[in-house]
This record gives sequence, C-alpha cells and structure tokens, in this order.
Amino acid sequence: MTRTLSQLIAPARRLALVGLAKNTGKTETLAAILAEYARAGLLVGVTSIGRDGEQHDVIDARIDKPRICLQAGSLVASAGALLRASGVAHERLAQTGVRTPLGEVLIARLSERGAVEVAGPSAAADVRAVSDAMAGFGAEQVLIDGAIDRRAASSPEVADGLVLATGAVLDEDIERVVAATKDAVDLVRLPQAPNGGVPGEERVALARQLVLNGEPAAIAGLLREHPRASTFVAQGALGERFLEGLLTARSERTGRTLRIVVGDPTKVFLSRRGADWYRRQGLEIEVLRTIALKALTVNPVAPQSHRFDSKRLRELIEAAVADVPVLDVLDPAYLALAK
Amino acid sequence: MQPSPPKQPTPPVPSTSSSPSPAPAQSVAPGDSRRAVDRERVKPYADHLGDGIVQFSFTLPVPYGLAARKAAQELALKMGFEHPEVVHYQRLTDGYTYFVMFGECTQTVDYASLSDEGFEVEYMGEEEIEAFARERIGRPIVIVGAATGTDTHSVGIDAMLNLKGFHGHHGLEGYRAFETHNLGSQVPNSVLVARAIDLNADVVLVSQTVTQQNLHIANLTELVEIVEAEGRRRQMILTCGGPRVSNELAKELGYDAGFSKGTYPHHVASFIVRELAARLAAE
Repeated sequence: MTRTLSQLIAPARRLALVGLAKNTGKTETLAAILAEYARAGLLVGVTSIGRDGEQHDVIDARIDKPRICLQAGSLVASAGALLRASGVAHERLAQTGVRTPLGEVLIARLSERGAVEVAGPSAAADVRAVSDAMAGFGAEQVLIDGAIDRRAASSPEVADGLVLATGAVLDEDIERVVAATKDAVDLVRLPQAPNGGVPGEERVALARQLVLNGEPAAIAGLLREHPRASTFVAQGALGERFLEGLLTARSERTGRTLRIVVGDPTKVFLSRRGADWYRRQGLEIEVLRTIALKALTVNPVAPQSHRFDSKRLRELIEAAVADVPVLDVLDPAYLALAK
Repeated sequence: MQPSPPKQPTPPVPSTSSSPSPAPAQSVAPGDSRRAVDRERVKPYADHLGDGIVQFSFTLPVPYGLAARKAAQELALKMGFEHPEVVHYQRLTDGYTYFVMFGECTQTVDYASLSDEGFEVEYMGEEEIEAFARERIGRPIVIVGAATGTDTHSVGIDAMLNLKGFHGHHGLEGYRAFETHNLGSQVPNSVLVARAIDLNADVVLVSQTVTQQNLHIANLTELVEIVEAEGRRRQMILTCGGPRVSNELAKELGYDAGFSKGTYPHHVASFIVRELAARLAAE
C-alpha cells in the first residue's frame, strides 16, 4: 500500500463510489477522500444518488452514519431543504429542475466549512448533467456517491472512474465476502468486445423483450433462426433469466462459446452467479465501453453483527482480485499514509 | 411460578376532555378553540395545543406485576418523557408484559423549515385529480403495478390499484385518468420492466415488504437499475410502497416517491398526476 485514495483517483474528473451493499463503507470512503483533498486544497463538487451525511441509517436507526464535511468553496448538489437544515452558509448557484422525494436539487457553493446532507439526482442522466454543471462552476473533481448497491452512476456515460466499497456486511463467512467481492470486480471489469467484431462472425441484435423476459422457448427459437451466430448484442439490460434461458436452449451447441455484448458493465445483472461461472459454461459477456476501476475499499465491520481482521480481509481480496489496490480508509496504517 | 395475573389494573385515567385537566389557563379568546400553531416549535397534540402528550407502547421481557409496571415507568422517564403513566398493561405470555403508556414529550420540531421547501405534495380529491389530469395531461396515464421479486404480499398493490380499493377509497383502476395493469405478486423485475416498456407505461408502482435483510432492498434497487439500463429512467415515474417505505428510503433506493402505511389511492394519484404534469411541462 503505497498510494492514497486521492492519488489513485486523481485522473478521474467524475468519480463514482459504489457499494456492494448497504454499510460497506461508501460514505467513509467519501469522507476519507474529502479529508485528503481538503489537505491538498483541491476544489471538489459532491453529489449523491441517494442521501449522505444523515445522522442515522434509514433502515436501521441504531447505525450512526459518517458526516460529510466540506471545505469553504466546495460545490454541492443537494435538496434545498437539506442544505438549509445543515445550517452551513452557502450560495445558491442554480436550480436544476430535478425533483427528488426530498425536494428539488440545487447546486450551491459553501461559504464556510461545514457538515451537510447531500441528496442529489438519482437518475444517471441527471447525475451526469449536475456533475458537468459543478465542473462548470469550478469543481476540479466531482465525487458521485452511490446508495445501497446501485451501480448506474458508475456507467462510463456518467463517470470516468470508480471506487468500489465492499465489507463484512456481505456475509459472516470471510471467504464468501471475498468471493462476492471477486464476482463484483469481475462484473465491473468485463472484457471489452473486439472493436468492429470478430471477422467472419454472425452478429445478432437481441430484441429487448426477448432479453428481459428470458423465455427459454423464445431463446431456442432465436438460436434455431441463427444457427451460425456466435455473437449476440443486447441493447439494454442483461439479466440472469436470459443467461439461464440461453444455457438451457443452447444445449444442442455445447462446446461452442457464445458471446453476448452489452453497452457497459452497469447493464449486466448477476446475483446468483458471477461472470466467471458463465464463462466456464461457454457464455462470454463483453462490453462496448469499460469502467476504470481505481480502487477497492473494505469495511471489516458489519454493524450490529460481526467483524473481520482488516489486514486479513484485504490480503484475501488482493489475492482473489488482481491489479486493484485494496484499502481500509479507517486502518491506522492507511491514516498514517494519508496524513 | 407466575402468580395468577392480578385483575386488570385500573389504568389511571388519561387527561381526556372529561377529566379535570390541570392544564394552565391559555390565553385564548373565549369561544376560540383554534389557537395559532407555532410551526417552528411543533409538539405532539393530545388534548390541547402544546401539551406534548404521546401515547406509546412496548413490551418488556419481565413477568407481569407491579415491579414490571414500575420498570416501564422508569424506562419511559429515561426515554425523556415527563410524567409518564402506564395506562394499560397486560401479560403477553410467561415472562413478558405489554404496556401502553402516556408521557409528555418535551422536545419540539421546526416544521416551518421543512414544509415550505421540499417535496410537499398537495393531496387532491378524486374529482380534482380527474380534472387536473384532463387539463394537464389529456390522455390516459398508464400505470403498471406489481409486488416484485419474491414478495408474495400483493395486498398493498391491490389496495392502491384495484377498483375495490380499501377503507371506502377506491383504487386507481376506478379513475378515468388512469389505465392500470396489475401484474400481481412475485413478478421478476426484468419481466415487470418488459411489460412496462410494452405498455409504454408512465408509472411503475411496486410494493415490497422491506426488512433489514438486504434481499428486499436489493430487489427494489435492481428494478431501478434495470430501468436505467434500458434507458427509460427519465420516461418512467417509479414509486414504491410498503410498510416501512419512507421518502428518505425511496430516495436511497432511487425511486421518485415512497408510500407507507396510511396511504390512500388518491395520495398516490395526486403525486402521479402532478409529477407527470411537471415532467411534461419540462420537456
């Protein structure tokens, strides 16, 4: 561990933070980045697709949440009522017209240092618009905090880089936490489809309804129609129903690898089995646009439940997942480095 | 062993209107029962404004008896209630006692700063909703509803959508403004989205019993993410409902609104027509 989070994420103009579940430490990660940037004097803009900086967890009120402390001059996209309730002096720069269950989102510049509650737009397209607006107002980097396990804002259409947060909350068994983290990283780093396709292959565009409904009979019909096709292109979401249907329907062609190409990793929905498992079954999932994974952060504590040794968890994840720095932003060794 | 439960304790009579209330005389003009509410310092209301009286209940894992009653009172004091009273208590089972309490809340909340900004939906009655939809939208609003994923509880979605409704408020199906499609329970997210796209739905309404288990939460976020992946997020109004779904939770889940206990179909309908009108106006 030689580089800090802020060094690792520096090149990304818009950085998304995504957690694998609630309480994996996204907001602690955001707080660590903000503290490092405060020391470096970097001007940031912050938004959240959920809600950040609230005092207690929305589902389990026994869990205290970290505060979001911003420097004077920082930009923030949040609901007006929340900004006002924070009591931190700020200047309103723009109304965004984006309505959320907590009020309309506005963009503000803090006039003083303070802790604020951040609740920006939820929809990916709105997140992108608000991020660009904050950059326009002078933010050198925009940090987009996630919510629960939502990934849409990490799409390359929205962000230039990603930090994934994982933690003990995923399972009481450390090996299963590592396995679930590996699956999530595999998903984020799905291979890029060869530019222009593979010579001589037959490409078939998949109808959205066929993919969403995932009816094995319909999928079998498609395969019969295109006996030679080896590459299928999905326009929207790709989920397990379709993949499982494809495995069932494909039995006649065992041995041949089928490739399914999607827009980017946020369009793929796998909860039971990882991309690696499908690869072993002969289904290769590829993306047109990749995500730049900058770092993994771990929270070794599952609130109200169990905890693992931070170093052991990080070492196991590092061994399972190559080429991604794994950090615990609350570990004393990391804090000493970041100072 | 457990002594046979003493006869039902006579609860101290709470200060109802019939009881001689020791409340200090208020500076209210005779005949004026509607004192102005101080919206920056709102307190619970029971008999008169500002009395702060709260009724609450809990169970303690202790056997029924006078010591249990005393314990409940002490606990309520520690919770910060003044003059806590046990108005009812009863044995639940061996070693467990249930209490209903009254107590005075000494805290206040600044409602004024919350209400004038934020997502305050003004609820409309059915006729108003119909007129609003005719004027501002001018075509049937397509609503697709389901209890998603593994949830077998369709009672919430049925109450909102079906003609029968509940408590004498008929569901959205009965409105001329809406074309509703109730897909029932245990509908996989991707299938729900496929139907919504097929029907060109304006609104997707899902209900889910949310617990602290990640499963339920993940099911609700997945629906939002699939709609995003299909590129339809800005075209579809997504709302969720369930016993524990607040607007705060809806925000984290990525929905446009969350509806909890106490919601009637016209509440949901008010939100839908206003939100859709706002979106159409912004286009």
